[in-house]
Amino acid sequence: MKITRDVVLGLYKNTGTARVDADVAASFKVGDIIQARIINPTGHTRLPRYVRGKQGRIATDHGVFKFADSLAHGGGNQPQHLYSVRFDARELWGGDAKPQDCLYIDLWDDYLERAE
Amino acid sequence: MTSDNNVELRVRALESLLLEKGLVEAPAIDEIIDLFENRLGPQNGGKVVVRAWTDPAFKARLLANATEAIVEMGYDAVQGEDMVVVENTPEIHNVVVCTLCSCFPWATLGLPPVWYKSAPYRARAASDPRGVLVEFGTEISDEAQVRVWDSNAELRYMVLPERPAGTGAMNEDELLALVTRDSMIGVTRAQNP
Repeated sequence: MKITRDVVLGLYKNTGTARVDADVAASFKVGDIIQARIINPTGHTRLPRYVRGKQGRIATDHGVFKFADSLAHGGGNQPQHLYSVRFDARELWGGDAKPQDCLYIDLWDDYLERAE
Repeated sequence: MTSDNNVELRVRALESLLLEKGLVEAPAIDEIIDLFENRLGPQNGGKVVVRAWTDPAFKARLLANATEAIVEMGYDAVQGEDMVVVENTPEIHNVVVCTLCSCFPWATLGLPPVWYKSAPYRARAASDPRGVLVEFGTEISDEAQVRVWDSNAELRYMVLPERPAGTGAMNEDELLALVTRDSMIGVTRAQNP
């Protein structure tokens, strides 16, 4: 296919959100303490190693989104809640970090379990 | 290392080949260049910031629902579908990274700078943000809080920098000149007048 001006314009306009209008139950609510699961998938994941096994707190529930991991593996949308999760810098990086510093990362429901 | 001169030659060679083989038409290339030079880029984000500095009702809408507030300003493009804007204050300094690769809010900031995509920034902005900020010339007090935003999923983040002191009498164009791309990533502050 020859790339024309119209193709370019189509590529760069708003291509639609990954948000899904589906009634999917949330496993967690804002304020819940969670632990990121320790998983080691061989393919694509948006769960970075540095948060696996670490405890954080649900800061925001962004709503229901397509699940990037299953999409990458041909497993469909698997729509589920996506949360902004706050981790203390010390939980992630140890005692050299300032006690007040923190990191927020967006994590899907399947990445999380309730902290013990 | 490849010199800039070689990069330019290589780009010209690639462009010629793509055109000769009929894979791309010339107006498509012009359109891509115009998009990223004139329509998608930090000039858009800068206008969002200046409006937030000068219009408290807009700022409230921007922080509550950044996607809608940014679309309201006409910046409705790819990689801006779900936006979050976080506000810097004297007590809180926000900085954005994508540890996965290069996720970036194209509609408001354009394409990411090379350093943003580099492995050292992606690793160190998460693990040692204060050290990285110092290297960008940004000192954060021991008392202030640093918040790192890893935008590795579907939302895209932009920082609303603090309005510099002594800018009360400046008009919107003068304010716009103070808002840099880096200040909207959070690695620097807005420039002082």
